[in-house]
Amino acid sequence: MSKEIGHASFQRRIAIMVGAGHVPGLNAVVMGAAMAAGKLGWEMVGIRDGFDGVLHPERYPDGGLVTLSPQLIENLDPNAAGLLGQAPRVDPFHVRRVNDDEMVEEVDMSDQLLKKLEAEGIDALIAVVGGRGLSILYKLHRKGLNAVCVPRSIENDIAATSVSFGFNSALSFTIEMLDRVRQAAQSARKIGVVEVLGDQAGWLALQAGIAVCADAVLIPEIPCDLQAVAARLQDKVTARRSWGLVVVAEGATFVDDQKAEAKPSSLKASLSPLATGDASDHVIRRSGQAAETVASRLQLAIAEETFPLVLGPWVRGGAPTAVDRQLALAYGAGAVRAIKAGTYGTMVAFVPPDIKFVPLADAINKVRTVPRDSEFIQVARSLGIFLGREL
Amino acid sequence: MNHESSVSGLSGIVLNIQRYCSHDGPGIRTNVFLKGCSLRCKWCGNPESIAFKPELSYDPKKCTGKKACGVCLKAPFPEGAFYVIEGADDTIHVNWDLAGDCDEALASLCPTGALEMFGKRMTVDEVLDEVEKDSSFYRNTGGGMTLSGGECLLQPDFAAALLKGAHDRGLNTAIETACNVPWRFVEQVLPHVDTVLHDHKLTIPERHKKWTGVGNERILANFKKAYETFPDIDFVARTPLIPGINADEEHIRAVLAFIRPHKNVIDYELLPYHRFGLGKYLSLGVVYELDDYKTPSDDLVKHLQAIIDEAFGRTGQDAAGVK
Repeated sequence: MSKEIGHASFQRRIAIMVGAGHVPGLNAVVMGAAMAAGKLGWEMVGIRDGFDGVLHPERYPDGGLVTLSPQLIENLDPNAAGLLGQAPRVDPFHVRRVNDDEMVEEVDMSDQLLKKLEAEGIDALIAVVGGRGLSILYKLHRKGLNAVCVPRSIENDIAATSVSFGFNSALSFTIEMLDRVRQAAQSARKIGVVEVLGDQAGWLALQAGIAVCADAVLIPEIPCDLQAVAARLQDKVTARRSWGLVVVAEGATFVDDQKAEAKPSSLKASLSPLATGDASDHVIRRSGQAAETVASRLQLAIAEETFPLVLGPWVRGGAPTAVDRQLALAYGAGAVRAIKAGTYGTMVAFVPPDIKFVPLADAINKVRTVPRDSEFIQVARSLGIFLGREL
Repeated sequence: MNHESSVSGLSGIVLNIQRYCSHDGPGIRTNVFLKGCSLRCKWCGNPESIAFKPELSYDPKKCTGKKACGVCLKAPFPEGAFYVIEGADDTIHVNWDLAGDCDEALASLCPTGALEMFGKRMTVDEVLDEVEKDSSFYRNTGGGMTLSGGECLLQPDFAAALLKGAHDRGLNTAIETACNVPWRFVEQVLPHVDTVLHDHKLTIPERHKKWTGVGNERILANFKKAYETFPDIDFVARTPLIPGINADEEHIRAVLAFIRPHKNVIDYELLPYHRFGLGKYLSLGVVYELDDYKTPSDDLVKHLQAIIDEAFGRTGQDAAGVK
């Protein structure tokens, strides 16, 4: 049965929302989904600022929902900032508000969310989310929401898909910046130690490090022996080549320090729920500490001057690469196919050469880490890039 | 010992009872931390005190991992709430979005104690019996019991009963509060308090809202009304000093201008922000940062303290030390 929405008649009305934080390619996902939905005769609407457009429509003079008409999509710049905006917190189970007694509290608005979506005639939702967002959408799906997720990750750490969109753009930018650091290190005759994102998965550090032929790449999956790194650099940094380049993932761990053996995430894990999550106000920020630690220890060990640099969140901005644009469009269109097939509670995944739909239960609580037998590990070793310890 | 009280069976959510404290009121004290807060200060170092309800905590240092235990990976624990990462080590991780509903009964199934609850329900008598264990210290030092939080005034019935009960047992009482509560809560509790340690976090309402979640108009109105309504209570103003947010002369002078007309505000203390131990035991061998805030420099603290000492007419050896 078709639904009367506004002046047009559509077969279905579906919505798309975007989780917290920018990732290059968000607009391309929206375009892919809207175009695929339009082809099926469905109306696609975008929810502003996470779920805020539905939960707090009074905040939006033009409405909390954006009708993604063909005209709007045709003129949407895939390189521009996200059309739908973003909210710092996207968790309808813990919505922060100030109550009538002027006291701040977090309330569960998941029931209201589902009711409001139903009242809007929306019968399925595409959620473009990262790792934590998948868990939240899994909970919402268990409460009855017809949800399909699209994975987004700068660190490419979401399991069950070969690649999340956003990663390739971050990788390209990281490589460009590492090239610049290498030039700076060469001219200054120092060892540059560059920290890149990667709390539990070292893909960004490893692949970027390979691309620029770094001297060493330190990733969370391989606890690093800094004495061995120092020895390797001692060999490479000579009078003729008096510079070096080390790439370190922010979640790198070290074998020579018992304290450092514990996973960085253990600290977050030890705190209460409100203390955790990237959108939380109580996130323990470690940005820069891996680079600082490695740079200072290497400088002590080999009497060469080091300088730490942190790329960190810089890589989250910017335009998507060609790869990410294609991937994002494919994910958006794929999510609509999943809805058409009625495969709810799933995540769209790229499992070369196919786009597949994997159950959310198989995607959460996993981290796509670098396996010890990864081809990238072999390539790095073949290029003489030291990975923190002899494997 | 039998203490007759119609409210002795009243209960509330207690986060922690800390003995031998010396900075939160006169003498040696026992601090009772009540759970729940009505602000969301971005620098808060005690996130476990924010929610009202008892909530699950996980200490990875106590956990023996999947192979040795793995109890939490199976029913009756919620599906997906706990997990290990394939290909990594044996460490158990928590999916807080799925584990948030775990209650005390489930936490008690953890054999190593890695899973515990932050906060538990206690009766007035249970708390006071614990507090009274150090009566001899209180007698010798003029100490007693301090209610802290979270925000202790958010449990007004329980707080009032605790404080009254403490008075009945001859103990000195103090509370630590930010006062972001309806006046009726303040009015209910303060008759049983000897000393009020109260936070002046930020002066300008917009900034207060930015950093704590709400403006400070009601807070300041509560303070003023409290000074005037309870002239026999000693009030001590306090500011957690956070560089870049409130560690400046303008704020300190504004607080002084607010409190000095009131003779029962007997002191103004600075609490230099420290990254209280949250991450000292982990990380890459260095201290974690709680957000990006720095601790204030000694010179800055001394400078601000000198302004306070001058306002209170203290010089030389009379000048207050920084707490």
